[in-house]
Amino acid sequence: MSTPADPQADGPFETALDGALARCLVPPGLPQDFRQQLRAAIARSPSTDRARLRAALEQEHAQQLAELQTGYVRLRQRTLGGLIGGAFAAGLLITFSLPWITAHFGRDAVFALPAIGSIVGLALSTRSWWQRSALARLLP
Amino acid sequence: MQQDNPPEAGARDQDIVELLRGGALEAAFERLIDRYERKVYRLCCSLLRDPDQAEDAAQESLVRVWKALAKYDQRASLSTWIYTITRNRCLTAIERRRDLDSLSDPAVEHEAEAAQAVGPQAEQDHLAVLRELVEALPERFRRVLTLFYYEERSVTEVAQMLGLPEGTVKTNLHRARAALGERLRVLGLADPQFWLEKAE
Repeated sequence: MSTPADPQADGPFETALDGALARCLVPPGLPQDFRQQLRAAIARSPSTDRARLRAALEQEHAQQLAELQTGYVRLRQRTLGGLIGGAFAAGLLITFSLPWITAHFGRDAVFALPAIGSIVGLALSTRSWWQRSALARLLP
Repeated sequence: MQQDNPPEAGARDQDIVELLRGGALEAAFERLIDRYERKVYRLCCSLLRDPDQAEDAAQESLVRVWKALAKYDQRASLSTWIYTITRNRCLTAIERRRDLDSLSDPAVEHEAEAAQAVGPQAEQDHLAVLRELVEALPERFRRVLTLFYYEERSVTEVAQMLGLPEGTVKTNLHRARAALGERLRVLGLADPQFWLEKAE
């Protein structure tokens, strides 16, 4: 049995018809601006908008995370620097003031030194607290 | 003549799939439209028989392909997947068209014109007669026949496009050509020389 998949197996009429059909049924050409219109349709499609919004939000989130990370590292560095500087300053102060304290307080210098240290520490803490609370009042 | 299984088709689909596996979605889609936009448009033309509707349907189909591309799971071949999306979009368009007044349906009008035109007045243009006879064929024969010649006589491609077994495509092609031959004989146009020499 002949089939159209093998047109040459048919008779001369079928072969001629096959050629005529090939000339007659010409594939339709793609419209000129098809690709541009397709791109425009893709750009307009809601899922693309959602995808774009999602990408923008993810980027913004990543930026915020990076800023927080930078701020956190900076805070840790400042805290560490403050502690080292404070300890160094306290050591210097004690070194230079110890003879004067011993001369003035005698045997009570052992109690005077921690007392003075506590007073200075309390003064610094109060100042810091005052500054922060004043700043907090300024904030909306 | 026969190109049941073009050897480069699988390799090129494989390239697209490889790009998808690598996450290069946009590059994959670029290659996909290079390869399939004409085929998708031809399938839409064959199913819808209206160039404007076919263009809209082809674009919507490819937009759907783009949206779903990231979820393509390779259970079906890429071409089968794309043709299924396109076919479903066209079937939806056909359903919508059926809901409208059939008198304003361009396909129905075209079919009616084709049926009326097949007569002595139209015989001067032999290819036009043949085209009109093809248009007047039953839908299942016409689709298979047009796509067969659009796709360079590839039964495999037509079967994939229409979602039919290859055997069904071959049978429909054979019947379509037999029906055409019969109608040409009725019109007295069954002389092979007539088609070989005059149908240029």
